Amino acid sequence: TGGGFRGGIKVYVEPHRLSGVFIARGKEDALVTLNLVPGNEVYGEKKIAVQDGENKVEYRAWNPFRSKLAAAILGGIDNIHMKPGSKVLYLGAASGTTVSHVADIVGPEGLVYAVEFSHRSGRDLINVAKKRTNIIPIIEDARHPHKYRMLVGMVDTIFADVAQPDQARIVAINAHHFLKNLGHFVISIKANCIDSTAQPEAVFAGEVKKLRSEQLKPEEQLTLEPYERDHAVVVGTYRAPAKGKKDEDE
Amino acid sequence: MAMYVLFEHASGFGLFSVKEFEEISMLQSQVEKNVTEFGKFAGLIKLHAFSPFKSGANALDNMNCISEGLLHDDLKLFLDTNLSERRENNIRGRDSKIGAAIQEELGITCQTSGVASEIIRGLRYHFPRFVKGLSDQSQSKAQLGLGHSYSRAKVKFNVHRVDNMII
Repeated sequence: TGGGFRGGIKVYVEPHRLSGVFIARGKEDALVTLNLVPGNEVYGEKKIAVQDGENKVEYRAWNPFRSKLAAAILGGIDNIHMKPGSKVLYLGAASGTTVSHVADIVGPEGLVYAVEFSHRSGRDLINVAKKRTNIIPIIEDARHPHKYRMLVGMVDTIFADVAQPDQARIVAINAHHFLKNLGHFVISIKANCIDSTAQPEAVFAGEVKKLRSEQLKPEEQLTLEPYERDHAVVVGTYRAPAKGKKDEDE
Repeated sequence: MAMYVLFEHASGFGLFSVKEFEEISMLQSQVEKNVTEFGKFAGLIKLHAFSPFKSGANALDNMNCISEGLLHDDLKLFLDTNLSERRENNIRGRDSKIGAAIQEELGITCQTSGVASEIIRGLRYHFPRFVKGLSDQSQSKAQLGLGHSYSRAKVKFNVHRVDNMII
């Protein structure tokens, strides 16, 4: 993919290693997603149009200082477990800025169930979901998944950015309801939301232990420096078979 | 004693009958082992009845009750109609408050623990394949419509744009 850009500067967009994510190479490189609704912007982010043969294709810049998921990708995370066609349960959707990029990644064949408890952010989220019809807005408390059990199907991945001290438990209870066997979780942990007095490393280790006890097996951990301080993203698998354990079926 | 499982979905209510086992632990392990494969799971669980919501407004009305743990008249009627020899029956569901209401108002034993949550995971996997006329696409459409109406109603009456923190 290549083409022109306003002002004559050449911008090329190439696929990132992670399916559904792209990099725009111009004067400065930028992480971008393919705009699901061309012409529409969500939070004043920059749009980048490139010519792809006969067609004009539009991408949206994804700012790692405003999105922990973007920060994790630029930090070199191995896998986000979201790609075209994925179904994602997004806990802590806020105003829907990062959610809109996840919606771009999973595309029209995918779905994002976006849960947010705050009514103030919820209004914005609903408006984002009006334009992007692969987002199902759910204004409800992620602590009580039974309240929204009618709205959510089985998902491939749970993403959580709820910044609550009982975050591990919140993710676990949602996983028991909605996460497929061998599905994945991606959790952003802000150390001082869990315990503001302990060392961040100790907090992350404590959270990892809690996750393990709920069949959520952490496989990768990444800090979000330089974009966020004392933040880590933990990625793992739900109901992963124990190592070395053979299939006892036959 | 026959066992049924209630599954609440954006498109309507489903009632499923469960294959009888002498030991509940046998059933539990069978469900766990076969939950991801429709063919095997369908050998354990059969659709007994399905009642679609009549309209978007009707779905929202029922969803509001489900989320508050209240027994809606539609659900009451659905269970009453489809479980005729009620004292012989035993329902499994996801919500203990609704379970208590079912027991009180209809006299049907209702349990929410143990094997129920695993069976309901299976139903969430395979629901569109159990119900005629439902597909992955149409189930997403039902969820989308209901998600918007439920969420819109939640923020609508909050004119000051202040957060309601209910702890």
